[in-house]
Amino acid sequence: MDSRIILIIGGGVAGMEAARQLFLLGYQPVIVEKSDHLGGHVAGWHKLFPDMMSASSLIETMAGGLDGVTVYLKTTVATMNRLTSGFSVVLSNGTTLLCGAILMASGFRLFDASRKEEYGYGVYDHVITNSDLEHWFNTGEDDRIPENPSHIAFVHCVGSRDLKAGNPQCSKVCCMTAIKQAIEMKEKFPGSEVWCFYMDLRLFGKKYEDFYINAQRDHGVHFVRGRVSEVSEDIDGKVILKAEDTLAGHQVKLKADLLVLMAGMLCNEETPVLASMVRADVDSDGFMRSRDNIYRINESSRPGVFFAGACTGTKTVPETVAEARAAALDIHNYLVGNG
Amino acid sequence: MKERFATGFDPFVLPFLVGMIFVLGYCLYGIFRILFQLPRQDRRKFLLSLITPSTAIKNIWDIFANCLLHIKLWKRNKMLGFMHSSIAFGWFMIILLGHIEVMVYCPERVRLLYYPIFFNYFVAENESTIGGAVLFFLMDFFLLLILTGIALAMVKRVRSRIFGMRRTTRPSALDRVGLYSLWAIFPLRLLAESFTAHISGGSFLTIPANWVFRQFLGNDLNMLPTWWAYSIALGVFMVVLPFTRYMHIPAEMMLIPMRNAGLKIRHPRRGFAKVEVLSCPGCGVCIDACPMSVQKKNIKDCTVYLNRQIRRGNEKRIEEISDKCLLCGKCEAVCQVGVEGPKLRIAQRSARRYGITPDFSGMDVSGMTASAKGSKVLYFAGCMTKLTPSIGKAVCSLLDKAGVDYTWMDREEGLCCGRPLMTAGRIDAALGLVKKNEEIILGSGADTLVLSCPICYKIFSERYSLPGVRVVNYADYFSELVEQGRLNVSKSDICYVYHDPCELGRGCGIYESPRRLIGQAAGIAEAPACREESICCGGSLGSLTLDFSQREAMTRKALDNLYASRADAVATACPLCLATFSRYSERPVRDLAQVLDASAERVEVK
Repeated sequence: MDSRIILIIGGGVAGMEAARQLFLLGYQPVIVEKSDHLGGHVAGWHKLFPDMMSASSLIETMAGGLDGVTVYLKTTVATMNRLTSGFSVVLSNGTTLLCGAILMASGFRLFDASRKEEYGYGVYDHVITNSDLEHWFNTGEDDRIPENPSHIAFVHCVGSRDLKAGNPQCSKVCCMTAIKQAIEMKEKFPGSEVWCFYMDLRLFGKKYEDFYINAQRDHGVHFVRGRVSEVSEDIDGKVILKAEDTLAGHQVKLKADLLVLMAGMLCNEETPVLASMVRADVDSDGFMRSRDNIYRINESSRPGVFFAGACTGTKTVPETVAEARAAALDIHNYLVGNG
Repeated sequence: MKERFATGFDPFVLPFLVGMIFVLGYCLYGIFRILFQLPRQDRRKFLLSLITPSTAIKNIWDIFANCLLHIKLWKRNKMLGFMHSSIAFGWFMIILLGHIEVMVYCPERVRLLYYPIFFNYFVAENESTIGGAVLFFLMDFFLLLILTGIALAMVKRVRSRIFGMRRTTRPSALDRVGLYSLWAIFPLRLLAESFTAHISGGSFLTIPANWVFRQFLGNDLNMLPTWWAYSIALGVFMVVLPFTRYMHIPAEMMLIPMRNAGLKIRHPRRGFAKVEVLSCPGCGVCIDACPMSVQKKNIKDCTVYLNRQIRRGNEKRIEEISDKCLLCGKCEAVCQVGVEGPKLRIAQRSARRYGITPDFSGMDVSGMTASAKGSKVLYFAGCMTKLTPSIGKAVCSLLDKAGVDYTWMDREEGLCCGRPLMTAGRIDAALGLVKKNEEIILGSGADTLVLSCPICYKIFSERYSLPGVRVVNYADYFSELVEQGRLNVSKSDICYVYHDPCELGRGCGIYESPRRLIGQAAGIAEAPACREESICCGGSLGSLTLDFSQREAMTRKALDNLYASRADAVATACPLCLATFSRYSERPVRDLAQVLDASAERVEVK
């Protein structure tokens, strides 16, 4: 008989939701999470678009559904081996599991903004990333954010859609995140001027366009279509941006107190290593390869190995949650022989 | 001594004679054509240099050392050096000795072109005389030398790896004809002389061979056909020579004096460029050197193939090859003949016509000039440093620590140095920018211009005319500051491997000062390929058509070379190398200024 234990790699929103669903279906999901907390990147976020739901309350709600689920924090997978039926898995804490299926919910990592050195992250004093800003919303601690900024600039697509950075795909969530954060900054500092420098605005989801219109109409956020060419620092430590407004057809020079970089999403570095243990394939974009990208996104090319969330590509939170549920059902069908 | 034929002629010399007259005529015509193609002042300069004793002596020595002895090649690869010098020098000595023989024994025949070549057929001399013994011994000795070289050449054709060449060129059809006729000449000469040795004398090679042959050949009927074959092989070789890579033999003898006269490429195809293209021996050393050859599909874009396509006039391929190149200059550094691959390509690019040529003459630079005023030292960061702000920051920090009163010339606003336009072949546009920058710098009143970007430094040092202003690369400048005790550098325990940027190393010849500085600020290691042999990072502005996926393979190869030194981190002295390596490197990559700034302290002025 197949084991009813299911290994879930990653305790972010995908792993948590899949674990809850599998538990409700009568399985014994085991979440293995490398960090010391559940919730992944979302746990470090402040508010989620488009409802401005509190990220911590979402994680709290989701964690509430995990009673009875085994969770190993600060643990990684050491080895995975395929058996005649199921897998034998050894964890870094010494636990050995015999599991019926594996769900990879290992998520993404943020693009290291210092690799786009021209934007000065790590070089200039007042340059931060989207994730730093969310951290500041939560904790209020960041020396790089001045007391009362009068000019704030956002740069979209940092390390996304950028062949030079080796990352050609769109990270999907940053356009909306930038608009959300622009509005939040405007609300915190009503006297400030906020500028967004974008290539395209990709506002595909429900209520996203409303957000964009609100940002312009109600909050007076300036949107400039054009990539920032270079960033420098003046003697007072202010950030000077040079860009081209490609709609107006002239050059823009802006002196800002704070520059926020919308760092993109890349596949987690550990994911391909884990995948190679069970011979799952990595796609040309560095993320995991699904059996197809239309109908079987949750399935890998190998039986018993499933995917949920951002390990197969960039995704929003609702997409990830929906995928986690779908993956749970796929695993169930696989284990009862309906797959 | 006795002449065997009173006429001094036999029909077998005709193939040789035809070939010789053809090739001499062709070369003579070529020399006049190229002289005619040179711009007037270049032609004057060249002709004057020929009669200037110092250059004339240098010309003769260079031709002797490079065309015959192949000294440069010896230094690079002993096997290849031996192979080429044995054939070239041996052949030269045989021709020379042939003439000496004719002059000694039958001076009245010296005007006949073929007499020195076929001396042993026409003249019967005995090796028992002292003159004959010495001359024949030398003849056989040099023939043996050539035959060794030919044998090595045959092995090289089959297994080039034995000679340390991973890849070699694919000869064209005519090249093959030339090659096989060249291979045939000397064994045939050996046979011909051997068959004649009992009549005309010989030495340690030809006499034993003659004895062996006579054991089973009862007559002399082989004699004449072998001399015919020898003459035909010579004739074929000389007739195809102008259309094969062997054209490099006469062309190089023209190239060396022209280069010594200081001539430069002024036209993409004519004059000096033509001589360079013809001088390419097609050895293919540039293939292994080229950073693009990590990918097989780019092998046919190396300089040797550019030269071949220019000779064929294949415009489509010329354009492709010229645009693709990174202009890293490594092919030029390893080239035995000194074909300037990058300059040749820039010349090809400059022949392109554009719809719009930017005109900078009307640009108002008074604002920029005003903001550049104030100090004796100007710092010009350039566009690439603007994209790698950590370098600019480190340079300023170092200048501050050394107490230098300086102005960052392009901090707020600046113009491009012009080098990218120059590499794209848009020379007039580039010079337009040069003029504007000169205006700013001369208007600023500064006497020193410090540059942290070698791309800028190259054009500043080559094309800018800035009387009274010293143009200095930051590596040299900081070296001086350290020497003067204005910068206090302590040694950290990180070990760096220094990557020579193309534009700074091969481009401007600066190898020592960056190494000295890194050695003072940290540990330093050397990569297997360094200095002139350094491998381009792959990010070069030089290429107009290479995409990122192709560049990535080159960057990784260059990084592997640096990693082989087992250093903890990579140091370089070019913003473009820094940005390119940072993209893929697993080890930290730092600019020279960053390395220095991390361990430099302010010197307190008492």
